[in-house]
Amino acid sequence: MASKAHTPPKLAIRLLQLFLRNDLAEEVLGDLDEKFQHIANNNSTRKAKLNYWYQVFNYIRPFALKHNRSNSNYFIMYQHNLKLTYRNLLKYKSSFIINVIGLSTGLACALLIFLWVSDEVSMDKFHKKDQHLYQVFLNHDENGLLRTGPESPGIMAEALQQEIPEITMAVEDTPAEWFDENFSLSDGENFIKAKGKFSGKDYFNLFNFPFKHGDPLRSLTDKSSIVITESLALKLFGTTENLLGKMVDYHLLHLKKQAQITGVIKDLPINSTIQFDFVLPFEVFKDIVGKGMHWGNYNAVTFVELASGTDVTSLNKKLGNFIKAKLEGSNVTPFVSKFSNNYLYGNYENGTQSGGRITYVKLFSLIGLFVLAIACINFMNLTTARASRRLKEIGVKKALGAQRSSLIVQFLSESVMVTVFSLLVAFGLVWTVLPQFNGITGKFLSLQFNTNLIVGTLGIALATGLLAGSYPALYLSGFKPINILKGKLNASFGDVWIRKGLVIFQFSLSIIMIVCVLVVYQQIEYIQSKNLGYDKENILSIPMEGQAVYNTEAFMTELKKVPGVINASCTSHTLVKSGSYTTGVTWPGKNPEVEIRFEQAAVYYGLIETLGIELLKGRSFSKEYASEDSKIVFNEAAINVMGLEDPIGKTVNLWGDDMVIIGVVKNFNYASLHSEVEPMLFRMNEEFYPYGFIKISGNDIATTIQNIENFYKKFNPEYAFEYTFLDQNFQAQYIAEARVSVLSRYFASIAIIISCLGLFGLAAFTAERRQKEIGVRKILGAGNLKIIGLLSNDFTKMVLTAILIALPIGYYISSNWLGTFAYHIQLKWWFFMLSGLLALTIAWLTISFQTIKAANVNPVNCLKDD
Amino acid sequence: MKETRLGEFEEVILLIVGILGEDAYALRVADEFESQTKRAVSIGAVHSSLNRLSEKGFLKSDMGKSSPERGGRRKRIYTITAEGSTVLNNARDFRLSLWDQFPDFSTKFVGISHL
Repeated sequence: MASKAHTPPKLAIRLLQLFLRNDLAEEVLGDLDEKFQHIANNNSTRKAKLNYWYQVFNYIRPFALKHNRSNSNYFIMYQHNLKLTYRNLLKYKSSFIINVIGLSTGLACALLIFLWVSDEVSMDKFHKKDQHLYQVFLNHDENGLLRTGPESPGIMAEALQQEIPEITMAVEDTPAEWFDENFSLSDGENFIKAKGKFSGKDYFNLFNFPFKHGDPLRSLTDKSSIVITESLALKLFGTTENLLGKMVDYHLLHLKKQAQITGVIKDLPINSTIQFDFVLPFEVFKDIVGKGMHWGNYNAVTFVELASGTDVTSLNKKLGNFIKAKLEGSNVTPFVSKFSNNYLYGNYENGTQSGGRITYVKLFSLIGLFVLAIACINFMNLTTARASRRLKEIGVKKALGAQRSSLIVQFLSESVMVTVFSLLVAFGLVWTVLPQFNGITGKFLSLQFNTNLIVGTLGIALATGLLAGSYPALYLSGFKPINILKGKLNASFGDVWIRKGLVIFQFSLSIIMIVCVLVVYQQIEYIQSKNLGYDKENILSIPMEGQAVYNTEAFMTELKKVPGVINASCTSHTLVKSGSYTTGVTWPGKNPEVEIRFEQAAVYYGLIETLGIELLKGRSFSKEYASEDSKIVFNEAAINVMGLEDPIGKTVNLWGDDMVIIGVVKNFNYASLHSEVEPMLFRMNEEFYPYGFIKISGNDIATTIQNIENFYKKFNPEYAFEYTFLDQNFQAQYIAEARVSVLSRYFASIAIIISCLGLFGLAAFTAERRQKEIGVRKILGAGNLKIIGLLSNDFTKMVLTAILIALPIGYYISSNWLGTFAYHIQLKWWFFMLSGLLALTIAWLTISFQTIKAANVNPVNCLKDD
Repeated sequence: MKETRLGEFEEVILLIVGILGEDAYALRVADEFESQTKRAVSIGAVHSSLNRLSEKGFLKSDMGKSSPERGGRRKRIYTITAEGSTVLNNARDFRLSLWDQFPDFSTKFVGISHL
């Protein structure tokens, strides 16, 4: 007899129902139940229950399992989602385009910055001995302040290698920049200007510049050897083969020598701060310097290789007194620092390392991330603003039983797809903009599709897509179907404040950028047009070499006779940047404790006249007087500093020699406008002045130059006539500013684009939210214009807030930047007003589309759902 | 794709379905299998087999009566289809022909005629 008290174990039943196919449920449960009853009646309930469990577990077979757990059939869902996404973007093209613009701009920015940063970070790191490669720096104690510089005595390398066990190799070197354009090589006929330097014999052992021909380790052992680069070889000989052993002549100022090629190196990599065309052995330099090779003269740089495991800090302590021990009264303390770090960490303040280019690297990385973040936020903004479009779709899906997670996956995949598409567009953008970007940054970046780049960018795109899509996905999937089908929209107040805050923030940024652009532009105009105190128009700058040096007097006299030449002279000062200075001036009444720097220039007759510098008192150097080499001219600032009244005829002491003051010139800017005009002295006691300046007539410049060239060929046949215009040289000092100008313009445009996107999203959002309100107002009689005004009112308030926030910050930033110039414009009020107005106009244009559309809506459409 | 091969277990199940006739539902087939072969088998295994045979086209099924022991649930009765019969016959014929060829166990009486 079946007892009603016997029931199969409930847990087992629940388990079964969990995994069993629904259509099998009836028969399986029936069978199991019957079996249970059977056993319960014939044996025991306990046995029946055990058997029941046994049977249940045995139903865990493939054929009996439930088929579709909501999204287990991934492939079909993806197809469906793809279809939906495609249809969506076709239906709402404008939204899609705006999103793509926003994201691709952000991604392109991030990409460019990524390329730039990876290039910066890779500088100089390619040498094999990089880990142990260090450079020697000297801390000069000047009146208590420490000045750090890489210049060290030429004899230091040898001493270091011999005396310090931790230093396994030390190489002396002279940077090619020191010799500027003064080196030229010839194969016997043609002379070519090239960048050369002198290096110790172990140079190529320490540094890894791959050799095409020749042995790196032995290329500089012979005093008469020379190592040249491929491109120099091509220029000189037209080939890079069979050059070992060939002879070349080289000229350095008035030095002429011959050397034998012992090595041809492959062209130097771009990411090396060390650049040169050829290398001569350091021994030659030692000969040139002669007695100047001592511990008080810092005429070389020194590189060392440290033994493995050396503790740099204790080594530096050890080196502290290295030079002081060799030279009494020396005020320098040497220390070593890793060579490849110098590029990014090259700034020293009072002896300690204080950053350098690394600040830019960090800054730009931050900016890149920031721009990307803003692009993501805009995407979120726009997508959630247009949420009401997807309501029906979401409502129906949920009502049919879609789980929230599947909706989230759908929206996330949508945003990832849009991001990947934007990434492709971004690649296109970067590819087009890269040449200009390289021009601005002075680099040679390229889009090489190596694994690093692809993985990096895909990662960024994925992260951006997920991040940007996360909020919309959560927001959209969270709608309650009942609300949607009832027609209620989900809008919380907190939401609106976030959006408003974001727009204000973005607009503030844009306004700051606009202010910066204006200020930079004005300052550069000012730089171009400011009177420097001398006439830089139509002045040719030429290097003095060959016969011009040996026979300066004849050269100048003949040169001035060339038709079109008004005046000519030469000097040791470049006139565009600070050259050499000295503290060795003493005058009656000078305070012996205080050291004053005097910019110093050795000049030839007529320099002051050639440049048109105004003479305030006395006279300048002239052939009419004898012993001009014991005379001196100062500028106004110098006279003020010395506190001399009636300076003409007074005597001062320069480097131990008495000099009589014969003239005072008006202050003029001898360096870039970053620096103040400091005291300056002019003397005429040199044998040789490297920079020649020729003032030519403004008419028919081409002919004049041709005339000069003809003259030069006759006078100085061994050298090609090369010239630049002085105002070109002058411009070259402001490369950094030119870059800032271009970059700030780009950044400003990007900031504006992004802000407009943000504003557009907000406008769309509020227009939707206020649909009913607009409908009611229209019915009550409000005209279209009134509605537009009403909607715009809100946004105007936001832009005004942005202006209020941005202007003080803009003022602060621009006055800081202008502060780096000793001579700058004043910040005028109209800069700021213009920026504000511009921002306002842009904002109005952006929202006009939305507001006009919203104002024109038929009130029936928005109210009929109620 | 017509599967005409029959596993040993499947063949037995199929035969039992034929034997049970109107009473051929999963539980009964399993019980019958156990009593005939003296091998324990779970209902699930039998059900799985019955399902597979249906998919192969050898069985068809219908819902039958409900009963109180089953909590008022109906049972699924399986019947052999034409294909099922064919495949069973083929299997038997194949076996028999093999057994015929096998020495000692011939079903033919050599030299003795059947009366």
